[in-house]
Amino acid sequence: MPTVRLRDASEYPEPARRLFELSKQWFDYDFKEPPAMSRVMAWDPHFGGPHGRAMKRAMAPGEFSRGEKEMVAAAVSGVNACTY
Amino acid sequence: MTGDDRWYEAAFVVGITNALNVVADGLGGAPMPQVEPETAPAEVRTIFADIRAFYGTGGPAADVLGGEIPMPFGLIAHDPGYLADVWAAVKRAFSERRLTRRHKEALAFAVSLTTRSAFGTAFHLGELRRLGVGERGVMEVVGVAQMFSSYTKIADTLQLSSDMADIAPADASGVPDPGAG
Repeated sequence: MPTVRLRDASEYPEPARRLFELSKQWFDYDFKEPPAMSRVMAWDPHFGGPHGRAMKRAMAPGEFSRGEKEMVAAAVSGVNACTY
Repeated sequence: MTGDDRWYEAAFVVGITNALNVVADGLGGAPMPQVEPETAPAEVRTIFADIRAFYGTGGPAADVLGGEIPMPFGLIAHDPGYLADVWAAVKRAFSERRLTRRHKEALAFAVSLTTRSAFGTAFHLGELRRLGVGERGVMEVVGVAQMFSSYTKIADTLQLSSDMADIAPADASGVPDPGAG
């Protein structure tokens, strides 16, 4: 059970909902509701915005592919003992 | 071969990387000497030669790797049979198969960085560079490790359940998702 009540997408202001659209494009998946982390980040766009941009910058294809980086991210999450 | 092969390979790299780091970081400063190649028994020298060949420790990367033989191998070489088995597992895990060796080194570097292993971070950074990964590529791995070390702690603090299960292919194992509910 999350510590906070995660708002539905419709409860967020329009700029945040545009971010949710970008999130859907990033994951290339049509979620019923935006992922929990996207909704958490949208709670404070002044934090979530740059944090998300840093993540996208780090995950963009470069010397390593997006797929290779997703696996690195999974390994990092694993050693951080995070099930999310 | 199945689609899971890459994940098994990744898991083995993560596990054995952590095993090497535990010995190197934990015993590196302890009063336990490494077995030196010059005085090692023949069976150990044979394994050391294979280690050197695998890591190219005779080349310019030797300084980065901390000498001719990476520390954890020198430390566990007091038991030649144990060294042989551990090295066989390490070599198998890091050999190029479905995942490339540079990708495996990226995984090992990220895991070492995340677990604050001084040995592993320096060792796998050296390996990444030896395998031709540039500063941009290293920074990419640092960025992924750093950002996902942030996301994971935010998720844990708020006790979020995974909502990515719908994206993943169906898991026929029957093992419950610990993040569900």
